[in-house]
Order: sequence, then structure tokens, then C-alpha cells
Amino acid sequence: MQASFSLVEHPSDLGIEARGATPAEAFEQAACGLIAVILDPATVVKNEKRSIEVEAADMGQLLVRWLSELLYLYDAKHFIAGSIRIEQLGDRSLRASVWGEQYRPPRAGTRCDVKAVTYHQLSLRSDTDGTVLRVFLDI
Amino acid sequence: MQTNPGLKQIDRYRFLLPTAYRKGMRIEGLIIADETLMAQISRDQTIEQVANVASLPGLVGRSLAMPDAHQGYGFCIGGVAAADAAEGIVSAGGVGFDINCGVRLLRTPYRDTDVLPRLDSLIERLFRDIPCGTGRKSRFPLDPSGMDGVLAQGASWAVSGGYGTAEDCAHIEDGGCLPGADPAAVSPRAKERGMIQLGTLGSGNHFLEIQAVEQIYDAPLAARFGLAEKSIAVLIHSGSRGLGHQVCTDYLDIMQTAMQKYRLSVPDRQLASVPVHSAEGRSYLGAMAAAANFAFANRQMITHLTREAFSAILGSGNLPLVYDVCHNIAKTEEHRVDGARKRLLIHRKGATRAFPAGHPALQGEFAGTGHPVLIPGSMGTASYVLVGTDRAMEETFGSSCHGAGRLMSRTQAKRETTPEELLTAMNRKRILVRGESKGGLVEEKPDAYKDVDHVVDVIHGAGIARKVARLIPLAVMKG
Repeated sequence: MQASFSLVEHPSDLGIEARGATPAEAFEQAACGLIAVILDPATVVKNEKRSIEVEAADMGQLLVRWLSELLYLYDAKHFIAGSIRIEQLGDRSLRASVWGEQYRPPRAGTRCDVKAVTYHQLSLRSDTDGTVLRVFLDI
Repeated sequence: MQTNPGLKQIDRYRFLLPTAYRKGMRIEGLIIADETLMAQISRDQTIEQVANVASLPGLVGRSLAMPDAHQGYGFCIGGVAAADAAEGIVSAGGVGFDINCGVRLLRTPYRDTDVLPRLDSLIERLFRDIPCGTGRKSRFPLDPSGMDGVLAQGASWAVSGGYGTAEDCAHIEDGGCLPGADPAAVSPRAKERGMIQLGTLGSGNHFLEIQAVEQIYDAPLAARFGLAEKSIAVLIHSGSRGLGHQVCTDYLDIMQTAMQKYRLSVPDRQLASVPVHSAEGRSYLGAMAAAANFAFANRQMITHLTREAFSAILGSGNLPLVYDVCHNIAKTEEHRVDGARKRLLIHRKGATRAFPAGHPALQGEFAGTGHPVLIPGSMGTASYVLVGTDRAMEETFGSSCHGAGRLMSRTQAKRETTPEELLTAMNRKRILVRGESKGGLVEEKPDAYKDVDHVVDVIHGAGIARKVARLIPLAVMKG
């Protein structure tokens, strides 16, 4: 399965469907989707590296916590990621490196603010073709 | 009109969702809508979400949806649910991420003719001085002790710092300070997000609008609320910003883990709930009240900046509060259920408290009138001031609608209209628009929402809240 993401319509908010040959690829694509909702990813300068580690009780929570971590970095630290690499992904833990920049408004390419990552209709499916994740955001 | 066959229409404005609608429903659902709105509501998952909420344990009365209801995540937006305060549950998702997202209305000494010639300068000044949109930093950065003060005291923290008057607090739901706030229950991460966001508008559907009172429906009541025809008012819509979002995120996780301990299961993980009196439930309610207080203080600081802008451009910053209401909140209130008075935890997710005259919680000037219920419309459309009724107390736990309610997804809104088209349409209506994000503006275009006039006619017709005044926008700033 080709690594990719697409945005899913929701009556009030917005969802991300992420696909990958492996769960790690799909997790990377979910993060790319989140960033693409916030701003134009092509405009992000990758001059700063951050390491992220997340733990959770299950894969679903791990996905929500992973994306919430990126959102926290953006909202509290004003760090926006442009490039993402999952280095290790288990059922309950994740380690990633992200490269990006300090966000300084006003900034061209800004799209919209994301309030949070929800558990609403959260789904993760893996089969021989690969992994498909679906997660909804509160805008 | 296509409506859901499982629904039973009771009268022109009420649809009952019987417990037989779906296995697992413990209480009935009730949707306040006419046939037109019901057809719109039936297009998405709102009814399923009303049924999902009705499946939660420990709820009393009915799972309610207001006429502006639309699909949310977990709870529908426009949903109200009452849990027994002793034996029921509390749901972080039932309050939502933007804890105490709400609106406040300021009145001004000006008439439309005073303001129109300076409107451009005024909105420019407001846009310059009030941080909005993504990543703009607060003009009032907090240190840890300041943060604890905000979380514990809400609007009165701002007033004690000189950013308002005691009169302001008398015109805010709960006096601008929710009791039971526990700053220690708010995570360091949530506080960190809030430190740089006090007095910022945010983005999404948050806005500040300069409005004119266009029509009065109840002259004596409008006069008591300080509203006169053609007078200028300011409506501020914002919430608890990243702090509240983080509190909800934190407690959704805590509740999901704790649910196993309490042997609770829910139809959607976003509905994660715990018993009100569990350690996790008490902790959430303390953190939620603290986040609500942050939102009250946030709107107070925005009010201060608004007053400064009016003073600089028009000469007077005398802008008293008409009122300030919460849209996303859980509160302990007393209500009559099956003839007996009960203490209930009322979850309002995109709904407004609407206590009528004579309600014991209303003191001072609103004791004899009921408090103003503020209903913002979508961008470019009207907003309303209503007042609650006894029927709201009997039927909706003293709750009303909170706005127009979304009709169209954000993606569809952007697909259908360009920012230039929207700005031209606003220009034609002679409404000034200042927005940080062009894409964000289009997502909030008027026809992405239901017709607010119709929604308000339904809530008025259903006897839940009465119309007092209609306001129209002159200028709007959005994040």
C-alpha cells in the first residue's frame, strides 16, 4: 500500500485517513495529514530537530497521543514539524524524530488551527495490504 | 421532508427518540426542532449521537438536542444531558475540548450613526490589539502564580488587576468564577499552553463582532438589559484556548483508563466517562472548573482590549457587560425530575443555560427577569438576545440553543466558495471583515450554517426561550 493520507469530511470538524505499507508508515502519514491541516507543509523550513517518545495503553490511544504531542509542540512551543520519521513503533510505544521550524506569525501558508485530536470514530485496520488509520480532529 | 423513521413527532417543535430506537438506550431522547430543521439534523449522525448519549449510565430525564444540533464527536453539538450528581457519570467529551467556550455581549453608549463613520478604524484597531489566529502571543503573559490566580478566580482575577469592574462579574454566568476550581488538577502542560494565550481570541469559529441592535421584541426586558434600537454592541466569542483543550485531552485519557476499573463501557471512545464521585471524576471537575475560569478571564481581558480600542477611536471605552454565557460546560444544578428536586450534573455541549425569572441561582438585577441568553449567528447573519422560560426548566434542564449550528462541512464550504467571493458578498452587505486566515474565513461562511433566524424562531416557538432583541453585524474580526 502506497504511503499517503487524505482528509475526511465531517459535518463540523475534519478527519484524516492515513495509509501505509506498515503501521509506522501510516502513523507518519497521519502526522503529515495533521500538519497539512494546519499549514502548507511545503513552506516548513526543517532547521530544527526534535525527538518524540510516546507511550499509551493501546494502539488507538498511541495514535491520539502521537498526534496530540505534535499539536502540543505547535501550540505551546510554536514548533511546527515538516518532516517526520517514526524510528520505533510498538503496540504501546513510539519513538520518532521530527524536523521543522519555529512558527512565527503572521506566516504565509497558514491554513487553520486544530484544537485537539479526538477519539471519535477512531479506527485502525491492518491486513496484508498494509495499515489504514482514521482519526478526527476538533477544529 | 425526509426525517428519521425511528423518531416520533410530538408536536410542531418536538421529536421524541424512544428507548426502543436502539438497543442499549437507557433514557429517551428529545430533539427540539421543526420539520425543516429535523430534515437537516437527519442528514448527519446527530440522532445516533443523541442515542449514544442516552446509552450512558446514570443519566436522568432525556438526552436532549437543541434546534441548532449537528454531528459532533461523541456528544452532538447542541446536546444536553443530566447526570445524577450523586450516582451519575461525568464525561470529559460531554463538555468538549473548548471548555467554557462562550459568548459575551457588551453594550456601548453609541448609536449606529456615531460608529459607522469610524467603523474601519475601529475594526483595524481591534484587529491590531487583540491577538487572534494561530500562534499570536498574549499581551498578558502569566507566571505560575498568575496562572493559579486565573484558574482559581476567573474573571475576578482580571478585575482585581484593573482589567474591568466588579459590575462586570455581576453580569457573567456564575459571577465569572465557577466554584470548585482546582488549579492543582490542571496539568503542567495545560498551564504551559495557557501561559501565553490569556486575552487571545483564537481561530475557528471564534470572533469579535461589532453589531447594531436591529429589532426589539420585548421592550421592557430589552430596556432592563440595556439594549435600545440602533444602539451599538460588541459580541465576543472565545473560550479556554489551548489550556482547556489540553485539560480535555488529559482527562479523556485518564477516564478511558479508569473506565475499566468502574466497569463502564461507552459506544464511542470520545464519550469516556467516570462516576461523578470517583477520584478521577472529582479531579476532572476541579480541572474543568479551572479551565472555565481561564475562559472567563480570557473574555475579560479581550473586553479590556476592546474598551481600550473604543476609547482610542471613539472617545469612550464605557462598554458595560450585558451578559456572558458558557456554551461548553458541566455544572451542578438543582432541577425537578419526576416531581422531586434533584442535584444534577448538567452537561451542556454547545448549549446555553437559560434560567428564567425567579430562578434561585439568579441574584441581583436578573432575579426578576431571567438572565440574557446570547445566541450568536454565523458570520454576516443576525445574533439574538433571548431569555429563558419556565418551560426550559421543565423540559431542557434550563437550557437553550447556542447558535445557528453547522450545516456544511469545512471542506465543502471551501470547495464551494473562494475567499474573494466571500469578501465580495460581505462587502455587498456592507459588513467589514478582518481575518487572519483566508481559508478559515471561508469555512465560517454564512451558508455553512443553518439559518439562525429559523433556529431562534423554533426555540421561541417551542417555548424554551423568548426573543428579546435581534442584532445585525457591522464589522467582524476572525482568527
